[in-house]
Amino acid sequence: MNETAAAVRPSRWKEIWEIALRNKLTLTGFIIVGLVVLVGLLAPVLAPYDPNLMDIPARLQGPSSAHPFGTDEMGRDILSRVMYGARISIAVGVIIVAVSAAIGVVLGSLSGYFGGKIDQAVMAVTDMILAFPSMVLALALTAAMGPGLLNTMLAVIIVRIPMYTRLMRGQVLVQKEQQYVRAARTFGEKPFWIVARHIVPNCLTPLMVQMTLGIGDAILIASSMSFIGLGAQPPTPEWGAMISTARVYAIDQWWYAAFPGLSILITIMGFNLIGDGIRDILDPRSRK
Amino acid sequence: MSALLEIENLTKTFRTRGFFGKVKEVHALNGVSLTIHKGESIGIVGESGCGKSTLANLIVRLEEPTSGTIRLDGKDITHLKEEELRPLRRRIQIVFQDPYSSLSPRMTIGQIVAEPMRVLGGHSEAEIRERAETLLHMVGLQPGALARYPHEFSGGQRQRISIARALMTEPEILILDEPTSALDVSVQAQVLNILTDLREKLHLTYLFISHNLAVVKYISDQTVVMRRGEVVEMGPSDRILTAPSEKYTRELIEAVPMIGKPFRLLEDPAESL
Repeated sequence: MNETAAAVRPSRWKEIWEIALRNKLTLTGFIIVGLVVLVGLLAPVLAPYDPNLMDIPARLQGPSSAHPFGTDEMGRDILSRVMYGARISIAVGVIIVAVSAAIGVVLGSLSGYFGGKIDQAVMAVTDMILAFPSMVLALALTAAMGPGLLNTMLAVIIVRIPMYTRLMRGQVLVQKEQQYVRAARTFGEKPFWIVARHIVPNCLTPLMVQMTLGIGDAILIASSMSFIGLGAQPPTPEWGAMISTARVYAIDQWWYAAFPGLSILITIMGFNLIGDGIRDILDPRSRK
Repeated sequence: MSALLEIENLTKTFRTRGFFGKVKEVHALNGVSLTIHKGESIGIVGESGCGKSTLANLIVRLEEPTSGTIRLDGKDITHLKEEELRPLRRRIQIVFQDPYSSLSPRMTIGQIVAEPMRVLGGHSEAEIRERAETLLHMVGLQPGALARYPHEFSGGQRQRISIARALMTEPEILILDEPTSALDVSVQAQVLNILTDLREKLHLTYLFISHNLAVVKYISDQTVVMRRGEVVEMGPSDRILTAPSEKYTRELIEAVPMIGKPFRLLEDPAESL
């Protein structure tokens, strides 16, 4: 690279787009997630019926032109319910990951940068939570707090925090010995800014990968909790809760469980595809 | 000529705990004294592990000394708290050895070079930018470099960026911790020439750490030879490198690899390799 070359570079978004185009699987992930988000946002416009509108005479009908995904035991339109379900699932996934990652980043940074007593305390709690199977712990927590979507989310957040704490601590331990961090100390940068300006941006790549994959995981755990009956309560059109009531009809009315199930599958796959490719997008070295 | 930086009896002991809890002490620096006058260029040579870099880290207080004093302009700065030290930090800056890890990969060159002055405070964005451009020009980089990321530059260019960053706060003392040892020979010569020019233009005082005697001879008027955390010999570079009085210094000089001609330290470091 010659330093005399002109300093004209394409905009950030154009670069991201170009990198995404190079990797077809990542692009597929973006398209899937984009569609799911769009459907969720536009559910009131796109859904052919009110998701809670009962039509008992039309109960348990198979897919038809009036009800492309069929109807459930109350005669509600499954397509409309799946569309509204996208809202819930995406919101649940994003909120769980955002909150648990934010807390994990702060705890992990403190732990890694300052070490000592803070590190010991944080890691003791982290190791304790990580020692439990996360699903079992989330179950126990929700059971203790009482069923409901909000309590489920809270439980899943608590279970997920240690993953981000762990990841961040390891990253900080590596980065703080890098010479650019030492250089920042020699010109008197305060510890808070060393972490915020120098260390955290350089830990973002693995963190973002973990977060994107984590959204898929969070959606799955939340749906599983609803399936067991601890999460979203009827008549909320949550995918896991829908499959739960569909259990009874699974043999004769396949469409009832199949469409919410497919929605979960496709959404999680979308996030996982993005997670696999996001490393390239975030790395400044992969830009031209 | 008054003393700018005085180092007296500086000692650094690292304690490590072995597998069975046995405490092991490593004396990285053992009673080193050194006086640096304004405008001088002092070279510190010695094999790996002799304590050269520890000395540099102690002066910029990346590590705390075990005992001894460091005085800047006669003022004891050895035990100043970070807040009291902050205003003095701008007067002593350091350039590290590895040009690949010394620049944050996620910041543009403009942000990296602006950092020290931004932290110092009291300057407008425009002032900072102007000074960054001036310094980049002085180290031979185009203003276009400001918007680019470190990975777009070669090792030599990155080292010049590090030098520009270190000079942002108008320091009086520049510590150069093996600034050229990670670079190939032609690039080394280029960086050394830039350092010589800068010293003249900005009236800098250098503390140049290296294991390469040819490089030290080229850049410094005084040379300090170190071994196992202690000063073996010090004096004018010409004398030390041509007529050393200590056996160890002679061994160091004889260890410089030469091809096909009898040993002689050359005027131009590029020639000797």
